[in-house]
Amino acid sequence: MSLFMDLNLPFTADKKRLKTLLETAAHLGFSTVAINYVHKAQSKGKQEIPKPTPLDQLVDELPIVQGRSRPIKILNRLTILVTDTNHYRTNAAEYKAYDILAVHPTTEKLFHAACMTFDVDIICITITERLPFFFKRAPINAARERGVMFEVCYAAAIRDSTMRRYTLTNGLALVERNNGKNVIISSGTDKALELRGPYDVANLAQLFGMSEAEAKDGVSSNCRSVLLHAETRKTASGIIYTVKTPKDTEPKETDTDTISMVTDEPPSAKKRKTSAETDTDTVSMVTDEPPSAKKQKTSAS
Amino acid sequence: MVRVKSRYLLCEINISVPSNRLLLEDRPIFSAVKDAVASMHGDYGAAQCSIGFSVKYVNALTGIMLIRCPKSSYRLIWSALPFVTSVELKGRKIPLFLNCLHVGVAGGGELHSGTIRTCQKFLVRYNTQQLHRMLPQCKTTDEKTHVRRAILRSSTKMLKGKEHKDESD
Repeated sequence: MSLFMDLNLPFTADKKRLKTLLETAAHLGFSTVAINYVHKAQSKGKQEIPKPTPLDQLVDELPIVQGRSRPIKILNRLTILVTDTNHYRTNAAEYKAYDILAVHPTTEKLFHAACMTFDVDIICITITERLPFFFKRAPINAARERGVMFEVCYAAAIRDSTMRRYTLTNGLALVERNNGKNVIISSGTDKALELRGPYDVANLAQLFGMSEAEAKDGVSSNCRSVLLHAETRKTASGIIYTVKTPKDTEPKETDTDTISMVTDEPPSAKKRKTSAETDTDTVSMVTDEPPSAKKQKTSAS
Repeated sequence: MVRVKSRYLLCEINISVPSNRLLLEDRPIFSAVKDAVASMHGDYGAAQCSIGFSVKYVNALTGIMLIRCPKSSYRLIWSALPFVTSVELKGRKIPLFLNCLHVGVAGGGELHSGTIRTCQKFLVRYNTQQLHRMLPQCKTTDEKTHVRRAILRSSTKMLKGKEHKDESD
């Protein structure tokens, strides 16, 4: 039995609704979920990307996952709806607050750019309307090389019949192009009644033309590689990462001015390295290399 | 004589209002599933599920049901199950969803079941698990002793069943 994940539960301000949603997800056997914050980028003016709400403010008690004795794991995810190339900013500080980063391209040019250059974990596929473009093999293969996943949401298909047709068409078009690899299936609903169990979702994915094993990967191991990819994106290929020094470990004798200065410092104050010798060489070598799918697996083990 | 092969799908019925669960019956669920198959797979699907397709068992208290379908078309029927969103019970439309608990999935071969008996065995194990989950949620001591006793009863029954099996072997 593998760990099942649902990486798209839209954020709702309604706490009660979110709680039932999380409880249902845990009951169905999802061990990891991601709360999705959608950011609609506009072309005019600089707009603020919302900060994720801290988890302890959202839920009081995490529900226990079905069939396991561990509580459900909740992550934060940001989806940027891009309509122009400059909406995605590389290395923006706001992105660092989120665990997973996703983009939703609306035109072919943006889709191409998202597959080739954007440093993201997930590329969302439009499912509520007819695709404005055809998928091309070149960008999809490039995305696969880089370990970026494509996401198909199934909730709209449950809602009504025309949506179902669009979902199936677009899902089929995607799976035909990338042979069922690098696809994750997630819910994308904020109603508890529209969630489905992991085995049902895997079976649903078979309607897109995926094989049994690929469909199961879509709800389990591909989601896991999304998480690992997110980690490598944050931490120079998963080898080096920076930690913020905890506030209470600072010397207490110093006066208040110095303390405030220390806390204002960027989180790169302390670096932890796995390989002690030839520090600078490893750093430059690692950061120059793009994090590929193979790299993730080695860093995971 | 060739045996007619069929698959059994053990599903959990999730209803948002728990009191509505007691209204569950097999006939309305059967027609709801049939409608979902028809809307998903058209006339071909509806024809497939008119042979050897039935709702074998519905437990209104725990919200469990068992569907029997021919082996050749069980994937077809299963793929339509997520699209069941409501069932008409006693003239009211009740929103619900079905969650498959026990069916064969690639890679998870241990879930495959071709007989109604393996489904029953799984269900006993599953319900015991549910009791274990209920225990920490109990508020009064009365409830707690009740659940504890139920767990004890189910586990002793399982042990007894095993002994019987050993003897017969």
